[in-house]
Amino acid sequence: MSLLRNITTGLRSLFRKEQVDRELDDELRAYQEMATEKKMKDGMSRQEALRAVRLERGSLEVSKEIVRSGGWESIVDTLWRDVRFGARTLRKSPGFTAVVVLTLALGIGANTAIFTLIDAVMLKSLPVPNPAQLYRLGDNNNCCVMDGTQQNGGSFVLYSYQLYEDLRDHTPEFTELAAFESHLSNLSVRRHGGSSVEPYRGEYVSGNYFKMFGVRAFGGRLLAPPDDSQSAPRVAVMSYHTWLQHFGLDPSAIGSTFNINGVPCTIAGVAPPGFYGDTLRGDPPDFWLALAANDEDRWLFAPEFEWLYVIGRLRPDVVPEHVQARLTGELQQWLNAHREIIPERDRGDIPKQHVHLTAAPSGVDWMQTDYAAGLHLLVTIVALVLLIACANIANLLLARGSANRSQTAVRLALGAPRSRVIQQMLIESVLLALGGGAAGLYVAYAGTHAILLLAFRGANYVPIDARPSLPVLGFSIFLSLVTGIVFGILPAWTASKSDPLDALRGAGRSKGDRASLLQKPLVIAQVAFSIVLLIAAGLVTQSLRNLEDQKFGFATEGRLIVKISPSLAGYTVDKLAGLYERLEEALPRIPGVLSDSLSWYTPLDGDNSNERVYIEGKAPDYRWTAPSWDRVGPHYFETIGTRLLQGRTIDERDTPGAPRVAVINETFARRFFPNENPIGQHLGMGDVSHSGDFEIVGIVEDAKYQDTRGPAYATFFLPLLQTPPGGPLAGWVYAIELRVAGKPQNIEPAVRKALAEVDPNLPVLSVMSFGEHVARNFNQERLIARLAELFGLLALILACVGLYGVTAYAVARRTNEIGLRMALGADRRSVLGLVLRAALTQLGLGLAIGIPAALAGSYLLANQLYGVESYDPIILGLAVVVLAGCAMFAAFVPARRASRIDPIVALRYE
Amino acid sequence: MGDKSSDLVQGTLDMLVLKTLALEAMHGYGITIRIEQMSRGVFRLNAGSLFLAIQRLERDGLIESEWKPTENNRRAKYYALTQKGRKRLDNETREWGRQVAAIARILEAS
Repeated sequence: MSLLRNITTGLRSLFRKEQVDRELDDELRAYQEMATEKKMKDGMSRQEALRAVRLERGSLEVSKEIVRSGGWESIVDTLWRDVRFGARTLRKSPGFTAVVVLTLALGIGANTAIFTLIDAVMLKSLPVPNPAQLYRLGDNNNCCVMDGTQQNGGSFVLYSYQLYEDLRDHTPEFTELAAFESHLSNLSVRRHGGSSVEPYRGEYVSGNYFKMFGVRAFGGRLLAPPDDSQSAPRVAVMSYHTWLQHFGLDPSAIGSTFNINGVPCTIAGVAPPGFYGDTLRGDPPDFWLALAANDEDRWLFAPEFEWLYVIGRLRPDVVPEHVQARLTGELQQWLNAHREIIPERDRGDIPKQHVHLTAAPSGVDWMQTDYAAGLHLLVTIVALVLLIACANIANLLLARGSANRSQTAVRLALGAPRSRVIQQMLIESVLLALGGGAAGLYVAYAGTHAILLLAFRGANYVPIDARPSLPVLGFSIFLSLVTGIVFGILPAWTASKSDPLDALRGAGRSKGDRASLLQKPLVIAQVAFSIVLLIAAGLVTQSLRNLEDQKFGFATEGRLIVKISPSLAGYTVDKLAGLYERLEEALPRIPGVLSDSLSWYTPLDGDNSNERVYIEGKAPDYRWTAPSWDRVGPHYFETIGTRLLQGRTIDERDTPGAPRVAVINETFARRFFPNENPIGQHLGMGDVSHSGDFEIVGIVEDAKYQDTRGPAYATFFLPLLQTPPGGPLAGWVYAIELRVAGKPQNIEPAVRKALAEVDPNLPVLSVMSFGEHVARNFNQERLIARLAELFGLLALILACVGLYGVTAYAVARRTNEIGLRMALGADRRSVLGLVLRAALTQLGLGLAIGIPAALAGSYLLANQLYGVESYDPIILGLAVVVLAGCAMFAAFVPARRASRIDPIVALRYE
Repeated sequence: MGDKSSDLVQGTLDMLVLKTLALEAMHGYGITIRIEQMSRGVFRLNAGSLFLAIQRLERDGLIESEWKPTENNRRAKYYALTQKGRKRLDNETREWGRQVAAIARILEAS
């Protein structure tokens, strides 16, 4: 109870200070009066009595001070007074305050932004109960459909439906084992009664998928095992985000029937908010459908198609290693029992096949793996930025502390305790740090947004919250406080140590003091860090430029890529020829279209198919990865700007009934026909009996379709609809390429209109310029390059501010020394030299430390660079010139001021 | 002229104030005079230490205060012992007696 009373009285005297003060004053006055009266009664005059009482009992003010300082609230009170005083002082030097707060904000903001991203991408678990129980069967992200044994040393990641069922039913250590497609599928969705078809993204999952994750429906119900059967009525689950964005949380959407890919499908329910499925990625699934609803039903029943990822929830009482051994045993058993579906070339690998059970609290680590290297580089960069920022702040605080030295001396001389002086200065720096931290949070929020936009260019929705998470928030506040305290204590300590007399006398004004001993290494460190950042920024920028401007083997200017999906509109193979004919008729009529073509895959679309080929008259060769292949319509190569090297391209002659032909690229020619003319040779797919199916009629230049960094893959191209009996399926067209006059984006409305006229049900998945289409392949590189440039620039500015600050401070301190030198005959040029020499020394030392560090650092960067060596002399030279130029300018400004000093004024100044 | 109150054993001023108030409610000056009289001038109190002790006791709920007119028709704040304060005084007196006796035994032992 007394603690409570203590607090309430304390608070009362804090907030009703005047009244409490008056009361104390009244009481003490009454006390004094009584004592005085007593003395007067003893015969003293009032004057004497007052004096005696003051001597005996202490003066009124001192007593008051003693009583006041007795309560805890007095500490709060002095703190509050110091805070207000600190705020006032900072307001009086807005330039200094702004620079410090801004520097801190950028340093802390950049770090918080990157750590928020890391927290979201690398550390966060899936938003499901007990994510630690989730385990994935497999350890890599191979995609999408395979057969036979698996690569990466036999670690199984893609499972056939049959194999999944077998593992699910024979591994009781999992409470649930769920399977899902390794990639998302495009869906065409028409709401019941709606007229237009809209493209959405969907994922096919096993019936126990949601049960395995342990999530509950937000509305309606989720998928259940009975839904995952071909005889069951079709149902789908909508994501909360899609429900919000596209259906305005309309409750009637739940239970209504949508037309998905041409089949009526009931929306069973809505997944909980925040649930984005099994993989963190941009544009997560809008709908989840049962595996049995997949159009390709052969995938469901043919044990040779390996297309599913598998994740399960392990019972809490089992040891993962034991389960892993058991799974590998089951896998071996299954493979041996199904030897007939494994291609002959793979059978020797069966004993190597195994299951690597990996903890999957964050689901499939797609982004985690993809972005790890980039994020680590960014962490290093922002850590350097923060170091530079802190060095800068330290420098500014040191300079300020030294400048305030005489003020501190006066305070000490007037009897202020050292602790109070230190407290006062500490509070000032903590205020600055908190201001910087608060501003930094804003920078972090905006920065995370910007980074997400850069990292997921083209995505409509990213399931990552840009708000700094609580631990990150704590981290950044801690960081700003530590910065403030560490670098606030130093000048405060130095200042309070100084002898007031010395300081007042002006000693130390012209000789080196402790502050400048610290300042110079700080500037040297800043220069060193900056050159490291500038070189790194130069390297990644050059690397990105090399990637974007490389010889792709096609031309992006003035070209438009339209993605369509006839299969989603319910087209069957026999109707394709009609559709393609109508498209080929309609497309050239669009005003501005110079040339047009249709194709299955289009370059750098993130997807690619490869298939073994058999060359007529040659033994099958399994040494190489199977070559890539594509189906293309007439004018394809002209439209995308790939040059023909020999023979002819695919054209109007190559109808389904015409002699079957193929076009190959240079690498294909080199690999399969090293010393002969490929034209006129034959090839085929499937097995040796098909080796005469297609006659090679042309060779085109190499073009990159999948890997942007490596050489082009060996590739062959077939006409859209030429299919030999028993050969590969007819070609589905997923892309339209257009070469247009003027800006490609401008004709988008005309293209959409023309396609709607051909078939209003044909889903148009996207329309974008070829340039943008290619640029999206470099999202990560661009993110890192842009951030490195930004931070490099920041580092440059901070280093220059630091050098300017130190030089300006030195000039101010040495004003009368310089005046004396000039009075004794030094000319302006020698003064300029004197000041610049000091700055040059710091710059030189910084470079001497920074360049080797940068070289060592960029050596680690080398495997992320494209077409640029980590010791690129031009980039190195450029970075040095830029830094030295800016730094010398920063030093020149105060140096010039020094050379303009009027000796008479300077000497009189003392 | 020395400030004798600093000679007080640490923490005993609170006990003395409580003891003074055990008989009747009193104002600050009254407490000073009473302590000085009873100690026959050994202890001298200055206003600061006294009111600091009073503030402490009041916050601990051992005494309570009230503004009242004095015999000379002046207004002063009178302090009185609370129930809790009386209990504390009893405890402290007993404890003090034990300690003094113990110290005396130690000092007398030769």
